[in-house]
Amino acid sequence: MNTRLHTLLSSVSHTSLRTFSQTLLNDQGAQPPRLHTLLRWVTMTLLLVSPFAWAQPSPVSGTLGAVGSDTMAGLMLRWGETLTNRYSDVTLQFQAGGSASAPTALTAGTTRLGPMSRPMTEDEHDNFTQRYGYPPLELKIARDALIIVVHRHNPLRALTRRQVDAIFSTSLACGAETPIRRWDQLPSTRDWSFGSIALHGRNLASGTHGLFQERALCGGAFRNDISEHPGSSAVVAAVGESANAMGYAGYNHLTPAVHALSLYNDNGVAIPPSEDAIQRGDYPLSRDLYLYVNLPPGENLPPAEQALLALIMSDEGQQIARASGFVALAPSTLEAQRTW
Amino acid sequence: MTGVPADTAPSRRRLHWLDGLWPWLCAASVALSLLMLGALLTLLLVRGLGHFWPATLEEVTLRSGETFAGQAVREVALPQQPGDERLYFTGNRDIESVRWRWVAIDDIAMQAQPMDLIRLERSPWDDFIGRLVAIEQHDQRWEGDAAWQQLTSLLALPVSQRPDSQLLLITASGQAVQQPLANVVSAQAPNAMTWRQKTLAWSQSVWRFLSEGPRAANTGGGVWPAIFGTVLMVILMSVIVTPFGVLAAIYLNEIAHQGRLTRFVRIGVRNLAGVPSIVYGVFGLGVFVYGIGGSLDEWFFSETLPSPTFGTGGLLWASLTLALLTLPVVIVATEEGLARIPEAQREGAVALGATRLEMLTRIVLPMAAPAMLTGMILAIARAAGEVAPLMLVGVAKLAPQMPVDGEFPYLHLERKFMHLGYHLFDTAFHGDDVQAAIPLVYATALLLVLIVLVLNLTAIFLRHYLRRQRGSEC
Amino acid sequence: MLCAPWFANDNDMTSPRLTTSRQPLRLLQDRVATGLITAGGVGVLLAILAIGIFLVWETLPLLAIGDALALTTLTPLAWGTLKAALSALLFAIPVALGAAIYSALFMSARLRSRIKPTLEMMEAIPGVVVGFIAGLILAPWVERHLASALVVMIWLPLSAGLAGFCWHLAKTRLRRRLPLCWAGLWLVPWLAFMVTVALWLTPWIEQHWLGGDLRQLLYQRFGMDYATRNALIVGIAMGFAVIPSIYSLAEDALADVPKTLIEGAQALGASRWQALWKVALTAAGPGIFSAVMIGAGRAVGETMIVLMASGNTALLSANPFEGMRSMSASIAIELPEAAPGTQTYHLLILAALVLFIFTFLVNTLAEVVRHRLRRRYRQLGSMS
Repeated sequence: MNTRLHTLLSSVSHTSLRTFSQTLLNDQGAQPPRLHTLLRWVTMTLLLVSPFAWAQPSPVSGTLGAVGSDTMAGLMLRWGETLTNRYSDVTLQFQAGGSASAPTALTAGTTRLGPMSRPMTEDEHDNFTQRYGYPPLELKIARDALIIVVHRHNPLRALTRRQVDAIFSTSLACGAETPIRRWDQLPSTRDWSFGSIALHGRNLASGTHGLFQERALCGGAFRNDISEHPGSSAVVAAVGESANAMGYAGYNHLTPAVHALSLYNDNGVAIPPSEDAIQRGDYPLSRDLYLYVNLPPGENLPPAEQALLALIMSDEGQQIARASGFVALAPSTLEAQRTW
Repeated sequence: MTGVPADTAPSRRRLHWLDGLWPWLCAASVALSLLMLGALLTLLLVRGLGHFWPATLEEVTLRSGETFAGQAVREVALPQQPGDERLYFTGNRDIESVRWRWVAIDDIAMQAQPMDLIRLERSPWDDFIGRLVAIEQHDQRWEGDAAWQQLTSLLALPVSQRPDSQLLLITASGQAVQQPLANVVSAQAPNAMTWRQKTLAWSQSVWRFLSEGPRAANTGGGVWPAIFGTVLMVILMSVIVTPFGVLAAIYLNEIAHQGRLTRFVRIGVRNLAGVPSIVYGVFGLGVFVYGIGGSLDEWFFSETLPSPTFGTGGLLWASLTLALLTLPVVIVATEEGLARIPEAQREGAVALGATRLEMLTRIVLPMAAPAMLTGMILAIARAAGEVAPLMLVGVAKLAPQMPVDGEFPYLHLERKFMHLGYHLFDTAFHGDDVQAAIPLVYATALLLVLIVLVLNLTAIFLRHYLRRQRGSEC
Repeated sequence: MLCAPWFANDNDMTSPRLTTSRQPLRLLQDRVATGLITAGGVGVLLAILAIGIFLVWETLPLLAIGDALALTTLTPLAWGTLKAALSALLFAIPVALGAAIYSALFMSARLRSRIKPTLEMMEAIPGVVVGFIAGLILAPWVERHLASALVVMIWLPLSAGLAGFCWHLAKTRLRRRLPLCWAGLWLVPWLAFMVTVALWLTPWIEQHWLGGDLRQLLYQRFGMDYATRNALIVGIAMGFAVIPSIYSLAEDALADVPKTLIEGAQALGASRWQALWKVALTAAGPGIFSAVMIGAGRAVGETMIVLMASGNTALLSANPFEGMRSMSASIAIELPEAAPGTQTYHLLILAALVLFIFTFLVNTLAEVVRHRLRRRYRQLGSMS
């Protein structure tokens, strides 16, 4: 009996309450409930709450909770849908709050899976390690890029890094001399008579915001008149509606309402944000998407989480990523990560 | 009510030039408010319900010779040049990688509405627009009209009984595609439909919208989990708020010493109704989720601790937060009801030997019941439309697992849930593609407004009805 | 006042069947119930008090950090909140007060009993729906048709005046058909028609008088930038949400003004305008003030509308065509991402505290004023 209990405990991460009920039902004599357990039972009954199941669990079951990047919301949800199709007892709950919400939730213990559109900063990493004594497991799960978009009829086609910085920042950290505020300051949009450039971007908490600041502004400071939208698709929609707008967003939100600009790399070649260029990393603003997992060293993940990770690393999972508008990981990266 | 007769003869008085004008400006304010309200509701009704109407599909040939098929969505003026451009929904995202197309109207060489264009709703990806060539099922093969009839008869079967079939499709530009039947949700040939068929299809899609869960990362499908979550949360909230609100009101009105302190408390409670809802959300996050929830987890669920149980937003915390938010509404409404009961009733009961408890339960509370009910309904109406605090304490973008299921204890208070209002905000701002989500957002908004308005109307009618009944009784 | 049925139901209570032996039990029950109710009531009140205590407690750590940073971060947010509230009130106050005056003083009783609940129903429309319409539908439309939007705003009051002018010129029979006391209703199609006319004419006006494009004109002449989601949009959307609360309270205050006062003033030869301005508005002044205060409280705290329609730019600009960022919207977006204990977390809670204190003060002020007013009316009523 004890071994069965043990396997149950280790196989599926569930509350101790089911274990306790098993104890009550099966081997009352062998393991008398401790006071602590009794207290637990009483309190929970009082609260009319008990997140445990009487039914014998199927091998892969449970709810996966994930908190994090809303850039990856659609992708996570589609993976979740596929997972539910495969194992009917597994469901994914996703709360999209921006990448910065993932380390917060991971460290606070409000989730176990934290998808992020940027790597953790050192502070976030340290906070987690301090709380749990081990670092979070970092997995790359897809490729993505930041794109700079303008209205679909805008004649602008490419920008240099300095120009991007001059448009979006006040600090000019990438070496531009003057800030660019109007369309007629750019050579190819002299005749685009819409006055000032109206800027759109993401809110402070999003990984997109942080990455753009680091890579496109050379770590400088954003101008303060950028409209901050709570989602990338809202940025694209806003730029698609107004002819004088420019904004940055995730690659997967690209729609025909806007036009994505090419960026010059260090050799002076304009590189469009194409799938190949992003996968190879030639496009200057391409990035990896990460999934952070709270996994104590030496322990195995619960089966539901394992099934999700297996799906992500499979070719089918990467195909879903592609169809969601992202770019699949390079095969070598995928191979390296199959045994996490 | 007309304190000033409308037709007082103006000639006898010295007329200020404003004298004739301002009543009209005031009347126009009323008219403007009504106009705005009407416009908003009409917009929601037309766009929300119109989305489910089978839209005509057009086959467009451009001057460049290119052909595509799609549904015309809207037109806007071209910037910096004369003329308009039109947005088409073309679907086929898996084949052409985009599903929208902007076309300048001057570029269109030919437009047609061929009868054989079909639209398939598919489950992992969104719609296909094109033509059906054939259906293959094992060795059998249907073509042309027979294929279409076979497809409709197959789709009429329940999902589990559908045989393994392949659809051979062709897009308007001539690209051939194979599509397994398993992924097809429904099929339409809108150009060939009669009015009656369209009405039928319309009511079916409305029903599917109400009864199904979201699909394709919330850009398609229905809102059933959100309706369910909203209703469940509101029920839980009223179960919590009504007894406490009534208790507090009875205490304030019947038991507390009616001194200056009670008056201050009363004003304070009344003012809490005006405190922004987001403040309650902050309180809920800080105290319920981080404070109480975190401690509960440490004490009782430490085994699972990296994965939280109560230390994250959930149904219970959301209901509690909203209960706190609507507490003033219930207290104020109940107190109004209590205050309206004539003192003579209470004195009579006590004079006849009733204790205070008996006086309360047999005289006062039955008389105040309508007021309490009104308070509860008003609280529900407020809570159903509130989104801001929920963003902090427990809604999820997608929570396919309902908070109520067959697993003991059937009601899972720690789970996250979906909420209509948040679903609306989320699909409109966080979705993959705002343009694709907007029709659904309209439909969701309409549903939310209807629910809230119906609740409010119930409260108003209840109050009227009970008051009139009371009037005839006394 | 005795209602027989209430006592008829309670025969057993008054009947002498109750023996003295049950008396202690009843008293005990009563004592316990009173205790429970007291405990419950006090508990609820303490829970409410806890909100304030929690907010203050969580802001205390900021004192250690120093307030200079808090000031620089919160100033644009406070400005944004005020700008949003002001623009909403600029739109809402005239419309709501006009509507209140009309429905309290002119409207026929039958119409009033229908219109008032309808307008109060506006308050029930969830902010997230208004925000969606404003942010995703109205804002892009206004951006494309800025001139039309502005012309409509000027044209609406003019067309109301025009309606009045035509009415005075019209024959008596028509006037009987369309009386002023029903104007709130029959002006609706008239205004709708006038708006359509304005929308149809504006492109022509813009072409001939404004040199083609109003936005370019604004930019070149005055250097004014235009953001899609701006104070104008927020003003309209939040004004829509605030109108019913102001209207409802102001209407109550005006309808409670003793009729004898207005009639007396007119009997003494005051014109309708004078009777309104000098008598009715003065008498109901405090009530109207408190209505506006409550509207202001609501405008300051509204979250979803500002979040969806304001663009969330932390700017210190007075330009009505630029965006802003309000405290409530910042809390909603950023608090879930702020780890508890960090500086951002405490700052956001400080913002919540500011909102709490502000709305609480404003509402208390309004409540006290309203209380005073009610007492004054009672005195006036007893004098007449």
